[in-house]
This record gives sequence, C-alpha cells and structure tokens, in this order.
Amino acid sequence: MKIVVLVKPVPDTYGDRVLSLETGLADRAASETVLDEITERALEAVIRHAEESAKSGAGEVEVVAMTMAPADSQSTLRKALAMGAASAVHIADERLAGADLVRTAEVLAAALRRAGADLIVAGNGSTDGSGGVMPSMLAELLELPAATRLETIEITADAVRGTRETDGGTMTVTAALPAVVSVTERMPDPRFPALKGIMGAKKKPLEVVALDDLSAELEGLGVALDETASARSIMVAATQRPAREAGEIITDDGTAGERIAAFLADRRLA
Amino acid sequence: MLVALAIVGLATIVVAIARWFAGLEPVAAFIAQYPGTYELPEGAPVGLPVWLNWSHFFNLFFIALIIRSGLQVRSERKPPAYFTSKRTGHKASITVWLHTSVDILWVVNGLIFVVLLFATGQWMRIVPTSWEVFPHAISAGLQYATLEWPLEDGWVNYNALQQLAYFVTVFVAAPLAIATGVRMSGWWPENERLNRAYPVAWARAIHFPTMLYFVAFIAVHVLLVLTTGALRNLNHMFAAKADDDWIGFLLFVGAMLVTAAAVVAARPTLLSPIASRFGKVTAR
Repeated sequence: MKIVVLVKPVPDTYGDRVLSLETGLADRAASETVLDEITERALEAVIRHAEESAKSGAGEVEVVAMTMAPADSQSTLRKALAMGAASAVHIADERLAGADLVRTAEVLAAALRRAGADLIVAGNGSTDGSGGVMPSMLAELLELPAATRLETIEITADAVRGTRETDGGTMTVTAALPAVVSVTERMPDPRFPALKGIMGAKKKPLEVVALDDLSAELEGLGVALDETASARSIMVAATQRPAREAGEIITDDGTAGERIAAFLADRRLA
Repeated sequence: MLVALAIVGLATIVVAIARWFAGLEPVAAFIAQYPGTYELPEGAPVGLPVWLNWSHFFNLFFIALIIRSGLQVRSERKPPAYFTSKRTGHKASITVWLHTSVDILWVVNGLIFVVLLFATGQWMRIVPTSWEVFPHAISAGLQYATLEWPLEDGWVNYNALQQLAYFVTVFVAAPLAIATGVRMSGWWPENERLNRAYPVAWARAIHFPTMLYFVAFIAVHVLLVLTTGALRNLNHMFAAKADDDWIGFLLFVGAMLVTAAAVVAARPTLLSPIASRFGKVTAR
C-alpha cells in the first residue's frame, strides 16, 4: 500500500510572520520555515501505521511525503524523511509562486495521479493560508471519496475509517480506498528524529518535480500547464495588522455591571 | 583594549594600595600574628584520597553540563524537542530534561561526597573549625591583594580564605542551587499552601545569581590553582599524590577533554535516544 502524506512548509508560528505588502505573498525570509504542525502529526500517524503494519506482517506500507513549495524549503522534506517517510516528492517551480488554492489543488492532484497513491492524508488546515479546503478540492479533482477532519484514523487494506467531531456530536466515517482524508491536531505528537534518522534521511530518495514533468497528468485533468499569465484569484490589497490596543480595565465602584453591559452592547456582543 | 588597560591600571592601583597598607606597622604585626593558615584539629587526615579526586571530577563534569543547559533553558524560546516522562506524564523541553537529569547525578555525587567527607575526617579541611578563620582569611586576602601570596601546602591544609570559599561553595551555594532548582522543577508538588510559603518568584530570583557565584568561584579557583604551583595542585586533585610530576596535569587535561566533549555532544539529536529510555521524545 502506498500512502502519500501532504506536508506543508510554513513560516514558524513561534516568531513574527510577515506578509510582503507589495506582492501579498508570505515573506519567507522573515521567519524560519518549518513543517506545519498538523502535517507533522499526520505524518506521525501514518508512519506509526506503517511501522505497526510491518511488525504484524500485515504488509508493506510505503509512506511518501509530498509538498508543493518553494525550492529553498527542501530541509522540511528532509525532516519528513528523517521522521520515517520512505521517500519525498517536492513540486517546485517558479511558475507556481503565489498559486491560489485551485491552482495548488490542480498541481497536487496531477502529482498525486503520477505517484499513484492508495491513500492521501493531509492536515485539515495550515497555519499560514488557513484555507482548509485542499483535501476536498483534491478529492473532487481526483474523483475520490473525502473523509475530512478526522480525529482518529484507522487504515485497513481496503478502507480508511475515522471519527470526526461536529457541533452536534461525533460521527464515524468509512471510505473505501483509494481515498483522501484530512486529519486534525488530535493526531499523535510527532516524533523527534534522532541522529540516526537524520543520517538515514540523506540516503532516501527526494524527487524534485517541475511543472513540465506533470504535463501529461495536468492534461489528463483538463487544466493548463502554465497559468502564470492568467491567475484566478489575486491579492488586491495587503496591510499590516495594527498593533493591539490596551484593554479597558473596569474597576467596580458599584456600576461595573452596567458598564460591562454597555461595553458589550457597544460592540454588539450582547 | 581600553577595558583591558583600565583593568590592568585598576589592578596596579589596588596592588599598590594593598602593599602600602600591609607595610603599615600594626597591619604587618596582624599578618605576622595571623599568617593566613591555622592549625587543623587533632587527627585531621593528610593528603587527598582517590575517592575525593573522582568526586571532584564528576562534580566539575556535571556542573559544566548544568551551567550550559541551564543557560539554554533560560534563553530558549522554542524547545528543540519535548520530553514526556513515562512515570509522571509531565511534558517539558528536552533541554529542561537534560538540566534536571544532570542535576540528579550532580546531587547524588554531592551526597556521596558529603557522606565520605564526614566519614573520613576530610571535612576538617573545608569546614572552619575555629573563629580564627576570619582574621586568617582577612590576612590571606590582603596577601593575595599584595601579590605576595601566602605560602601554603594544599596537600596538608588550605589557607583560611580558601577554606571559607570551599565551605561556602559546598555548604551554602550548592544547597541553595538545589533548593531553588527543586522549586522551579516539575518535581515540586502543586500544593497551594506550600506554594504560598515558598513562592516560585523567590526561587527564580536566587537560582540565577547562585549560578553566577559558581561561575565566579570556578574562574578564581582555576586561576589560583594554575598560578600557585599548577603541577603540584593538579597532582593533589587529579592524581591523589603530592609530587611535582606531570601525571596530575595529564589527567586534568583528559578530564577537560571529556567534559568539553560532553558539553558539545549534549544536543537534542544525540540526547533523544537516551531520553527515550525514560519517556517519549517528540517534536511538538
């Protein structure tokens, strides 16, 4: 079985993240680039499944880490390999800079077709774009079932099952493979690769894929190879978020209740 | 450069003043009466045993790792990895795990040291046994300031200032570091009354200056060891003998290399296999 985990290099949320006010794109030089936490957790869950599967003799599970990201973010894929992925696919192309969600979905779908995965696992949202729609878009393009926002995941030879939380309760969903799933932060804490894993990662295959390498698959999906000429969604304006204002402290002199009520009413919170 | 010049200038002035002061008649008489060293009690052991040499080595080895990891804990914003204890389920930065783990080894080594110190009578060398220690210490301090350093035989007895410094380090600074460290650690019980009686802010305010004391002590200690008969001193503390040969020096160099290697190697990727034996190491 081949499981592709979609991982995403993002600006580290530990530091200040900067948006270029001219282009509206993330200023990646301004902060450290790390693997998005949810995708690290997704990878951990899948690697654990592969390890258990190998141990119990249930069959070989190949874990592939895939990303579409700028060329200089390759160290994050090395980290995915150090954690235990067998190989990695890095879709990197200048023409993909600033690709919107639809474009990203098309290119990822093309690369996933090329890779031929039984199961595609993604996070339910990234800390940079916070789109949260990529898994559903991929499922649509690849004509696969999508089980989204899974809090638990159980993978068998021909199906994937998991639970998802909704406002009203918990539902258990099952999809026959091949399928797309997205998982939440409830996935297990990702392992910390030791020196052995880091050294081993240097020998694992890391394939860099350009748009031209995906021409056949993109054609199969019925989308253009190069779209830089006609972007679908573009940034119209970007502004720096204003500094946070100090909160108002209400000291109780007998009228605090009324003042709090007025404060909430002013902001239409009551 | 300017700072160095200022320090040299200031030191020269201090030495000049100290020499003038020590030359005054009553002061000279005081120094003659209190030469810097007083008699050890009856039955005090002569020389340093091998166990004490080992204890001293482990102490310097652990304290180097403790100071290094402590500074890392202090400056760390994002932990490089997390350690979750198998026993308690407590999760903390792997740097905190390193710091507290080496702390345990250091404390165990220290306890063995103190027990053996009292069992063998070696305590008499580093615990003041007479009020005379104070005039002798003042005299020794004055003599250090004149650069005409007190003559001594560290194999038999320390001068009073040395004795006070060692006593403060072993019986004041180390317990203070432990008491404040435990307060900030995950081992401290979450008890409302206990926390109010001993606020964590106190521990935090004292722990760091205690480290600064240790660093200052180490700097002065090493400087004096190397400038007051280095080969002999190193033979005392690293080869348990009173000769003038190079054996102690070679053992000292070996100890420094081992310690430096440990400090360099104490990084998350190499620590995680060790930490994994006691719990779970995760990236988040």
